[in-house]
This record gives sequence, C-alpha cells and structure tokens, in this order.
Amino acid sequence: MSKHEDAAVPLLSARGLTKAYGRTPALRGAGIDLRAGEILAVTGPSGSGKSTLLHCLAGIVRPDEGTVSYAGERLAEQPERRLGELRRTDFGVVFQFGQLIPELTVRDNVALPLLLGGLGRAQAGARAAEWLERFGVRGQEELRPGELSGGQAQRVALARALVTGPRVVFADEPTGALDSLASEQVMTALARAARESGAAVLLVTHDAQTAAYADREVRMADGTVTPLEVTA
Amino acid sequence: MSTRHILLGLLASGPSHGYDLKRRHDERFPQARPLAYGQVYTTLQRLVRDGLAEIDGTDADGGPERTLYRATPDGSAELARWAAGIAPPAPFVTNEIFAKVVVAILSGGDPAAYLRAQRAAHMARMRELTAVKTAPGADLATVLSADYALTHLDADLRWMTTTAARLTHLTAEVDAA
Amino acid sequence: MRPGDGVGAHGTRVGRGGAADRAGGDRVRLGTDLRLAWALSRGSDRREWWRAGLTAAGAALATGCAQTAVTLGALRGGYDVSLGAGLLDQPGTRAGVIVSLLLLLIPVLGFVGQCARIGAVHRDRRLAGLRLAGATPWQVRRIAALETGLACLLGSALATAVAVPVLLGVWTRPNAFAWAGLTVVAAGVPVLGAVAGAVALRRVVASPLGWVRRERRHSRPGPWLLLTAVLFAAVAVAAVARTAQGPRPGGLEGPVIVLGAVVVAGTAAVWLVGATARLTGRLLAARTGDPAVLIAAERLAGDPWAAARTHAAVLLVTVVGTGFVGVRQVMLEVLRGDKYLAENMDYYTTGLDLTAAAIGAALLIVLFALAVGTAESLATRRRGLAAQVAAGVPQRVLGRALLLETALPLAPAVLLAGLGGMAIGTGYTWLTDDGGSRSVPWAALLVPLGVYACCLLAAATSLPLLRRSVRPGELRYA
Repeated sequence: MSKHEDAAVPLLSARGLTKAYGRTPALRGAGIDLRAGEILAVTGPSGSGKSTLLHCLAGIVRPDEGTVSYAGERLAEQPERRLGELRRTDFGVVFQFGQLIPELTVRDNVALPLLLGGLGRAQAGARAAEWLERFGVRGQEELRPGELSGGQAQRVALARALVTGPRVVFADEPTGALDSLASEQVMTALARAARESGAAVLLVTHDAQTAAYADREVRMADGTVTPLEVTA
Repeated sequence: MSTRHILLGLLASGPSHGYDLKRRHDERFPQARPLAYGQVYTTLQRLVRDGLAEIDGTDADGGPERTLYRATPDGSAELARWAAGIAPPAPFVTNEIFAKVVVAILSGGDPAAYLRAQRAAHMARMRELTAVKTAPGADLATVLSADYALTHLDADLRWMTTTAARLTHLTAEVDAA
Repeated sequence: MRPGDGVGAHGTRVGRGGAADRAGGDRVRLGTDLRLAWALSRGSDRREWWRAGLTAAGAALATGCAQTAVTLGALRGGYDVSLGAGLLDQPGTRAGVIVSLLLLLIPVLGFVGQCARIGAVHRDRRLAGLRLAGATPWQVRRIAALETGLACLLGSALATAVAVPVLLGVWTRPNAFAWAGLTVVAAGVPVLGAVAGAVALRRVVASPLGWVRRERRHSRPGPWLLLTAVLFAAVAVAAVARTAQGPRPGGLEGPVIVLGAVVVAGTAAVWLVGATARLTGRLLAARTGDPAVLIAAERLAGDPWAAARTHAAVLLVTVVGTGFVGVRQVMLEVLRGDKYLAENMDYYTTGLDLTAAAIGAALLIVLFALAVGTAESLATRRRGLAAQVAAGVPQRVLGRALLLETALPLAPAVLLAGLGGMAIGTGYTWLTDDGGSRSVPWAALLVPLGVYACCLLAAATSLPLLRRSVRPGELRYA
C-alpha cells in the first residue's frame, strides 16, 4: 500500500483537538499521529476522552477546535457527504457492539459497504464470504448477528470493517464485551488482517492485553494525550 | 519452584539422562530461566539419595557414556502429592516494583515518573510475548507460558495504574489542604 | 382478585406474613402496586408520558364512539333529533350511523394498540427488572394493568364528562337503556385497557430475564384476532337488526352486506398485510442490490407482523373509502335523477357528508398511528442507527429504508384494497341499475392513490427524528 508515502509523514494526524459535550470537556488539546500500516493503541482510564478522540479522527464527530488531517486532507473543511464517503471507503469502524444490523444476515452485513459503493449483489456477497472465511466465520453466512456468540459477531464486524480495503481501521474497545480467549481470537484476526492488507489501526482500549497487540501505545488522561510515546 | 519435582515429572514419561532432562525442561518451560546442567546433575543425585529416583543403567548411543535415571514408586508418590498440593496464595508481598514505589514515596522521589517508565517497559515486554504467542505455528507450551506471563504483567500494570491514580488523588488532597 | 390467586409458590414467598397477612393483604398490595406504578411512571423518560397521553386520547375516542353508538341504539322508533339533519330520526338511517361509529372503532382500537408499542422495549425491560428484583408475575401484571387502565380511565372519564351534558342537551329524558349503556362503556373501556395491558406482558412475565435478552420475536395474529373480528361482526349485525325493526326492513339488506364485506375484508387485511410484507421482504431481500431496499426487505421478512395492525387499518380505510366514493357517486346520480324525493336533498347529502367525515377521521387516526409506529421503531434502534452512520452508511440510505418499510408492503396491499373497494362501488352501481346506464365510478380509484401518498407522508414525518437519532452522541452510551 505504500505508494509514494514518506514513512516520516503520518497518514492521519491531529493537533490541538478540543471537544466538549455540554459543559463536560472530553478533549482538551489532544494530538496524535498515526503512521501508515502501524497499529497504535490508545489507552487510558474511562472518561479520559479515548472514544471522543477516535470519533474526531474518524470524522464521526467534528472537534470544537483543532485540526485532523488524513493523507493531506483537512477533515474539518470537508462537507458531511465527503466524511461519510471517507468512512465508507478509506476507513473501517469496529465498535464494542452494535455495528451489525440485526435484521441482515451475516453475509449481507459484511457486503453492505460494498453495496453502498455500488458493487452488484452477487459480487459483494462473494467478496463478503471470502472475508468471513479469512476471519474464521464459516458456514454461518446465513445466520443473523443475534444468533452468533460475542466473539463471532466481532469477527464479522471486523470483516465488515476491512471488506472495502480501508487504509485505517478504527476499533473502539473491540474486545470490551469478550472473555480472554474470544478477545485473543478477535485481536489476532485484526492484527493479522491489518498487517496483510497494510491498513493502519487505531485501537482504543482500556485493556493492556489488548493493547499489547499494537506496535505502539499512547496514553490519555483528562482529554489530552500524555507525552509518553515509547516506540517499540 | 521446585526443580526436584519438575525433574521427577519429566522422568514420569520414562528413564532419561541428565542432558536429555535439561533439554526437555527448556522445551517445556520456554519462558522460564533455563536450567544449568550442573543443577540438573546435583538434583538427580539428591533424588537418588532420598530414594525418589534410581539409576536405570547407562546409555552409550554412539557418543560418550551417560547415566540413565528413572523414578522409584516413592518418587511417583511424592510427585503426585506435590502436584495435587495447593500453592500458598501470595503469602508475602515481596515485589521489586512495589518496593520501589514505596521507597520513592518515603524518600520524596517521583513515583509517578517511575510508574510511567515501568509501564512502558511492561508494555514492551507484553508486546514481545503477544508476538511470540500469535506467531504462526506456536506450540501449546509456548502459548500457555506466554499467557501466564501476560496475565501476570497485566496484573502488575493494573496495580501500577491504580497506584498512579491514587498518587494523583493524594497529591490533589494534599494541595487542597 | 383473590390473594394468592394464581400466584403459586412465589406469592406465598413474597407475602411472608402468611394467613394473618392474607386478610387485609390484598388492599395493601394493591396500594403498593399503585405506588410502584406511579413511581415507575414518574421516574421514566418522556416516552412513557407520551404513551400514557396517547393511550388516554385513544381511550377517549373509543369511549366517545361507543357511547354515541349505544345511545343511538337505545332509541326506538321515530324521534325528532336536533342533530344530523334528520338522519337520526328514523331507525333505518340510525342503524347506518351506528354501523359507521362501530366501524370507526376499528382504527381507534388500532391506534390504542399502536400506542402500547411506544417505549415497549424500555417498559418491558423495566418490568423484567421488577421480576428480577423478586416481584411475582401477578404483581408485575397488576402494575402494568394499572398503568394502562389508569390512562384509559382518564380518557373514558373525559369522554363521559363531555358525553353526558351533550346527551342531556339533546335528549330531555334519556331512557334507562341509554344510561346503562353509557355506564357500561365508561367502565368497560378502562377494564378492557387493563386486561389488554396485562395480556401484552405475557412474555415478560414468563421469565424475569424476559426481554432483557433480546430474542428475535415472531409476533403474529393469533386466533384472538379472528375471534374479535367475528364478535365485532356479530355485534354490528345484531345492532343493525335491532334498530331495523322499523317500517322499512327491506331497505337494510344493502348496508348489512356492505358491513359484512368490510368486516371480512378487515380480517383478511391483517393476514394480507403480514403475508405481503413477508413475501415482498423475502423476494426483495434475495435479489436486490440496493442497500436501502435490502435493509427494509430484511426487516419486513424478519418481522412481517410488526406493522400489520396499522397497515390493516390502512387497508380497511382504503376499501371503505374507495367503496364509499363509488357508492356516493351512484347515489347522487340516483338522487338527482329522482323526481319525487321523500325528504329534501339535505337529508341525503348530510348522511353522505357525515359518512365522508367519519372515513376522513378514520384515515387521520390511522395515519397518526402509522407516524407513531414509525417514530417508535426509530427510537428503539437509535443507537444501532447511529453506529451505522458512524460506519459510513449515509443517512439518505437509512431514511429510504425507513420509508420503504412502509411503502413496500403497502403498495400491493393498497392496490388490492382499492380494487376491492372498486368492486363494492361497481357492484352497487349494478344493484341500483334501473335501466338507465350508470357510469363506473372511476374517480374512486383516486382514493387508494391518495391513501398511499398520505401513508408515505406519515412515515416521512419521522425523517427529522432519524436525523436527530443518529447523532454520534448516541454512541457514547453503550
């Protein structure tokens, strides 16, 4: 995936982000750099602004102040339509739960981003099945998300996030509701798929064992990213 | 950690000589400190002295002559007793990290800075272990030992996170007073 | 309600005091339940109040319709009624009015049923929580029944408070039958509401975990619906027959046939809507490449009965409306051609206008129920929708899926209902054909089109809510 990218120039970078919900500040001048192809863990206590940072970086939330630039594009200057398109094509999103549509089959859930991109039903279905197989979800394509275990559902969510070949995957507590073995399967699958496809991952988690799948860790406290950035 | 019992356990699958025992130990306990050959030798002699193991003969096998050992019935019984006995759950808290934080607080040092640095080191080690564990073709012993180490490092980290939070709290209270 | 009635082992465990407690226990417990019901309603969010308010409004409408029908039913022979341009004077025409009022009850009841769905997930979770905390199944049922029953009581009291002065103003000395009818309706509506509230809870009551674990549900109309329809038909026919003991019994065959056709059509409509929803859902879900259609189709196939009640009411209104427009055209033609009318023209046109107004009111109620249903379906899944938008699914697609959920199953059903209504209208044309060539009432075909468009508009009123629901703020609460 590295076309003419300089490894020193981050793929996604944010400076001086502030964001408040009502009177509660969630971010107070947070900054972060995500390089192409790396897995970066954002850890910190609950309420430290991890999820809000992820939302700002993914263009889901517009920060009150500060800049987010992705591959030279300033997200604050983009209209909502372009942000949605970015999230559909260049970004993949995985949440703790809730990103699968309960009424759609597992296969259709994974195929949905492709359908939104204008791909035909048959092709999209086939591509979805391939990705499901890569994540070890086999023979369950016709089930609904409610019929899956938590770990399986998260692997389906990963397949949905990666099916469009995104350059950045945003994962917000992807193992938050899982036990340690299911977490391990999900994280191994995520790390492997990201490395194979060259996607960068921004991994928000409060769990050190999950964060250990990353190449690097930054910590958040009180809405800022602490200066500690120890590179592996 | 009882080297005697581990050697007895390795002998349970059949007679073995000292070098073979050391090699199998390092294989089975990949993340443990490797056994010194001399330690294997002295431990085997003590087992024979206590009647828990005995010499089974010698094995030349083309190379230098080596003594084969096997477990006695007493040895098997002792192994079974040890394996079934529970380990005392953390009777004493003697940990270097804990000690350093307490000393830093007592001597007016910077425990928070120490905890941050220690966290970085812990995370680096956890990343290594995770890489070892998830490498394709990792065998069960490797996965189990990595799991064990990861869980313990995670426990350390949690204690360190809580402690860092408590220190911030404490400082805030002192400042407010 | 006797203490320990059907409570079994749980009941005795909760009512620790044993026999001594049993004597006065029931009153105490009812008081506790009331307090609990009140505390729960007061502490809950706005949606609960919406449900209570709308339920009360629906109950008021139902009480009003039923009381008017009962009072009219109490009249014997000819009267001089100051309302309705002489339409209420004769038993024959009065029967028609009664039938219309009873028919108007169908959409009203549908509306009340729809109101029960507002915040249903939240409410069920709350009551399941009560069960987990140790409440007995009966206690939970009583609390739920009290909630609905009190809302209905409020509605029925308001309606009665209006009905009695009006009645006294119009009818100087109402007979005993009228008073009895009024009382029975005023008391019956809250009781029915309470029973319905308790029955609706059977799933939650079955297990304390009930709806906390969200199972895929397959709600489908059971024999209850059929029974209700049959009962309703029987009551209507009996009412007609009773008031029809006037001078012109023969002239009533037409309305009775129409009424029967409507009741049968209504019952069939529920099944028709469910079946079309399932069929269109399955067919489209398997083939479409359009994400919005896919989402809507899978939702329909998953729970085709979700909107069946409201949609069935839509169909009924369509059938009646289309049929009415046809009949009206023919009747006006007949009247204009008739040289020797028994009464002046107003007598007939007022009847027609009143019927039109009733159908219009029914349509409004149905549309309101549809809008409420759509908004409710959005509100319950707003977190999931927010996640979809966060993952890049355009709001436009979700909005289209929402509209398609109404549009897809209704299109074939409304078409069929329109044809049914046309058949009624055309049939009436032939029945009244006395040699002169009557035109087929093509104008009636505009009714299904109009109803369909109104339904889409009603569903579209939820689109602003969708825009508010998918705010990323929803993602912050897991």
